[in-house]
Amino acid sequence: MAQRAVWLISHEPGTPLCGIVRFSRRYPTVEKRAKVFNGATYVPIPEDGPFLKALLFKLRLLDGDTDFVESRDGCSRINKTSVYGLPVESEEIWPVVAFLKNGIIYACVPLVEQTLSPCPPLISISGISQGFELLFGLQDFLYSGQKNEAELNTKLNQLPDLLLHSCPFGTLLDANLQNTLDGVNFASVSQPQKQPAWKVGAYKGKPQVSISITEKVKSMQYDKRDIADMWQVVGVVTCKVPVPPILGFYQMKEEEVQLKVTVNLKLHESVKNNFEFCEAHIPFYNRGPITHLEYKVSFGQLEIFREKSLLIWIIGQKFPKSMEINLSGTVTFGAKTHEKQPFDQICIGGTAYVKLHFRILDYTLTGCYADQHSVQVFAPGKPKISTHRKLISSDYYIWNSKAPAPVAYGSLLL
Amino acid sequence: MGPLSRETWAQRLGAFRASPSAFMAGPEGEGLGSDLLSDLRSEKLSEHTKVSLLTLTLEFPAQLWPDAPAAEAAASSLLDTLVLLPPRPSALRRPLLLAATTALAAGGALGPTSGASGRLLPLLLGLASGRDLGRGFGPASEQHLLQATACECLRELESCKPGLLGGCLGLLRGLLRHEGPVQPLSLLLALVLRNTLEVQARAGASLQGLLVASNSPTGDGHSPWDWTLAGEGDAHLQAQAPSWPAAEEGGRGLAALEPSPEETRELRAVVAQLLDASYLLTPVAQAQLLWLLGWALRGRRGQPPALFKPQLVRLLGTAQLALLHAVLALKAAFGEAMFTTQDEALLLRRLALAAQHPALPPPAHLFYLHCLLSFPENWPLGPTGEEAAPLLLGPQQCRGLLPSLLHDPLSLLARLHLLCLLSAENEEEEEGQVQSPRRYLEELLGGLRQMSALEGGPRALATLCFQASYLVVRCLAGHPTVLTPLTHGLAQLYQARPALAPHFVDFLDRVGPELGKPLKGMLREQVVSREGGDGALRWHLQMLATVVDRDAQSATLRFLRAAAAHCTDWSLEQALLRVCRALLWAGGGDGLVDFLQELAGQLEDPDGRDHARLYYILLAHLAGPKLGVALGPSLAAPALTSSLVAENQDFATALTVQAALPPLRLSVGPRGAEGPGPVLQLQLEAQEPLYSLELRFRVEGQLYAPLGAVHVPYLCPGRPRLLRLPLQPRRPAPTRLDVRALYTTPAGLTCHAQLPPLPVDFANLFLPFPRPPGGTGPGFFEELWASCLPQGAESRVWCPLGPQGLEALVSRHLEPFVVAAQPPASYSVAIRLPPASRLLLRLEAAQADGVPVALRTDDWAVLPLAGDYLRGLSAAV
Repeated sequence: MAQRAVWLISHEPGTPLCGIVRFSRRYPTVEKRAKVFNGATYVPIPEDGPFLKALLFKLRLLDGDTDFVESRDGCSRINKTSVYGLPVESEEIWPVVAFLKNGIIYACVPLVEQTLSPCPPLISISGISQGFELLFGLQDFLYSGQKNEAELNTKLNQLPDLLLHSCPFGTLLDANLQNTLDGVNFASVSQPQKQPAWKVGAYKGKPQVSISITEKVKSMQYDKRDIADMWQVVGVVTCKVPVPPILGFYQMKEEEVQLKVTVNLKLHESVKNNFEFCEAHIPFYNRGPITHLEYKVSFGQLEIFREKSLLIWIIGQKFPKSMEINLSGTVTFGAKTHEKQPFDQICIGGTAYVKLHFRILDYTLTGCYADQHSVQVFAPGKPKISTHRKLISSDYYIWNSKAPAPVAYGSLLL
Repeated sequence: MGPLSRETWAQRLGAFRASPSAFMAGPEGEGLGSDLLSDLRSEKLSEHTKVSLLTLTLEFPAQLWPDAPAAEAAASSLLDTLVLLPPRPSALRRPLLLAATTALAAGGALGPTSGASGRLLPLLLGLASGRDLGRGFGPASEQHLLQATACECLRELESCKPGLLGGCLGLLRGLLRHEGPVQPLSLLLALVLRNTLEVQARAGASLQGLLVASNSPTGDGHSPWDWTLAGEGDAHLQAQAPSWPAAEEGGRGLAALEPSPEETRELRAVVAQLLDASYLLTPVAQAQLLWLLGWALRGRRGQPPALFKPQLVRLLGTAQLALLHAVLALKAAFGEAMFTTQDEALLLRRLALAAQHPALPPPAHLFYLHCLLSFPENWPLGPTGEEAAPLLLGPQQCRGLLPSLLHDPLSLLARLHLLCLLSAENEEEEEGQVQSPRRYLEELLGGLRQMSALEGGPRALATLCFQASYLVVRCLAGHPTVLTPLTHGLAQLYQARPALAPHFVDFLDRVGPELGKPLKGMLREQVVSREGGDGALRWHLQMLATVVDRDAQSATLRFLRAAAAHCTDWSLEQALLRVCRALLWAGGGDGLVDFLQELAGQLEDPDGRDHARLYYILLAHLAGPKLGVALGPSLAAPALTSSLVAENQDFATALTVQAALPPLRLSVGPRGAEGPGPVLQLQLEAQEPLYSLELRFRVEGQLYAPLGAVHVPYLCPGRPRLLRLPLQPRRPAPTRLDVRALYTTPAGLTCHAQLPPLPVDFANLFLPFPRPPGGTGPGFFEELWASCLPQGAESRVWCPLGPQGLEALVSRHLEPFVVAAQPPASYSVAIRLPPASRLLLRLEAAQADGVPVALRTDDWAVLPLAGDYLRGLSAAV
């Protein structure tokens, strides 16, 4: 359940190596065990340079890397998890847990306590989930409250010391690095007995309990007879949902040099008509910049981003009394210059969508709420209890009904 | 050289880190290790710099001190530095302890003769037990931290030398019960417990009261660490494969000798103690604890997994990835002995939700999806080790887990696999449905092809399309309704974007003939129907070299003739010649001779012309089969250059043992006469006369005691021989025997052959109970039945009946073990399972298609085996 090594690599396209190892840590005692456990199938941990190259290649993060390479592009080289085998100097190092988030690649190599041939299933390797926890912990630590490069550097500089505490020998002791940091500073105070390891020190502030319910609503609307629309609400509590909050259709047709666009949106009468914000984004992919636009909106304002080939319809805080609004217009595009305009592999030709972004505070679609008077706390003292709820759109698409659209899972009736 | 400044060190460390091997090979490399050790005592360097020096030693001890004596010296020096620290608070004590531990463990210096080991171990044990080690060890404020650190160091030493701290079990228990820090002590205790049980079991020793001994770390002159338990070198590390059923081939689960009741009780107490305090640990540490205890108790007599049950209430609902993974490991290890069907359904529901929960990061989704497809079911239907959709995972739960084009490649492939598995299962049900998974799959693949047909689109999209197609072909190879549209779709994709030829070539190499053959035909037709002069000629030639065969040769040659005019550079000429070579290999043809002759004169590059001429000569002079061999993928053995060498080879053949295909058949025969232990009746049949036959048996997984060889002086075809092979199981479990035969042929050659493995079934181990003086009967059975609990386990199994009914089934399979019966209504069956387990069955009230069987055993590990056996009985008739 230990890790042999861990890396943080920043992805920097345009530079000669396309990335820099910002942090790495090896665990030689674990490596020694790996040598024994893996036997003839043992492959040593490479140095940072070759590892960086192999990982960026595998994750397709190298510039100008377009040729077919069997070890990565072969049809049988199927990766269904964030765990890879990296070819390094004619051998393959496996399993490498790695993922890219906010420009940083998080990677580690868990110890496998048996031979690597045949490859044991990931579920049987205890170090895999421990590796994920370590990497998620690093990610949380680096990005909690961090706003700029300088702050990121400060946090990266704290890492060697922090891992000395939370992962001294490659076996993770606490995935919450902020906790560890507090613990290091806290160590001088003598601790009471039987202190939970996941809670550093006693809390000195005013006791309070905060319960918040956030629901995210996804939707795919097609306005087509043979495809069912789909909506899904997920949150802390999973419930069945009666309706999508905003129903709509989108029609886009290519007429000679211009596009004719119609969007119609209707707020469901049961939904609270009080948004923190509500916007409809209408992107045009694989085309040139917008050169000309004529439009009419029944409500709200339209913002035009010509270079990005994007329209944003700002609906604001409320739908009008009729609960129904529409937009129609024609758009003309200039010549396509590849650098600036957005490229998309799905939105080819007439395939296009409107994406809704909105947030409603103090409301849930499911009606789920926490009653602050009914919360019981089994601890001394009277904590202050507060409850919150909100509804947020997430992947809320309305597809052009005049062209093919990618069918999503919900519309499949199993 | 005097101490270096902070800046110089920073520079030096930076250069080292950039490439340790290059740095150590350079001029500065030699002195780095010793400079570092001496500067740790320099007063000019800040503590911060010293910590960064120590961090380096933690990561690269093998580079700094490449052999064991150097590591030993370094560890001694680090310990000296530690002792010399002034008694004020210091940030160095902790990293110094870690560094000394790392140097010893990683450098191979840890051992009974190492002085540094002899200093470090008592120091760590003293710190871990919270004793006052004098003012050298800093102020009291640091003690908590150092105590935890010492536990971590001990844990690492124990990990590298399993069994080393076996003598400290009692001490660690005491510390955990009283004042010690919970997490470090719990993890250390669990690890030592696991290792000690393992090492003791292997040595055939008992725990020898280690659990209750309360030895002090030094005191009585008897040291609590034990190099004899830890073994020589890395001996004990080798057999510790994780206890996952699929990975459990080797020497895992060795049966411990029968533990004494007192030991059993103590072991149970210590496990309960660890589990009770486990909620105080961080989630990742809890997960480690559960893995360790699961390993420790798996297959251990008298330790029912019920000990874990109280924790499950808390753990089944966990949202922590590592903890959920550990629960799955327990599930794999203990199965239905610990998890009910309801638990199983709950776990599956949680996994299905976690695999799509928006609050979790995508890599976690993918891991959960993997867990779902590799889920350790109580009663798996398919072969273990292969991904499958669990039985209890309903289509409703999968709805949110299906792929769409909007997913990233990893998610799409993972979800596509699930969809394929569901499609394969739902074949019968879905006929006539418009919205079937099959149709959805088709649309999805169509979408992927459309995306990859996009001119100038990224390589990743094409790769995704082919990987998805390959996955579908692999899962649904026997479903023509899927393969036909896929074949057509791919052929269209090539038409739209010939630049994907490398993907097609790779794809055709991997897929079987059910898709490969029709696809090759379509692609060939597409290529040869073209003009030959378009910009994609390079791709067409590459494609053609893979798909040509004897069919449609004239069309192919027509295309090649047209193409030859456009092959203006060396690489295109070579591509053209590769197609010719493929045609030659496929069987040539008349037109090809002329074409090669034309090429030999027409091609611009001399290399190309020579090549064409060579092919022409080969085709003109060699008959078909020889041509195939000459151009075949494998090189023939080089021809012998002289008759002398040939003769020598004959001598060598006569004098060496030859590997041969087995000329005999070995099978398990009918159950024979009873003996004191189980005996396997073997039937031996030869296909040719064999002399001095020796059969050697090896038990897979060391489940049984080693078996002796069997000798047969002469075996003649048509006269089978019966052999008796006595078995001595160490655990009542089925296995397979690896069989080799050594024999002499009538021609005088000595040969050895590997025979197919011989299965030993669970039922082969069955023995009847010896008849008690008062005779068997209901009373005898009831006594056995009652004696199984509370130590053992009880279960109920539905045993399907064939057309013959219960009576026939019992007489055929269970007759010798029936101790009480009222035919045809009820039977009481008592089976002895060597070495020391019992299995009791109560069959009564048979219904039309089956009979409910109540079963009890004193060894819960027997439960799943017994269940499998009973369910398979009717099929075995």
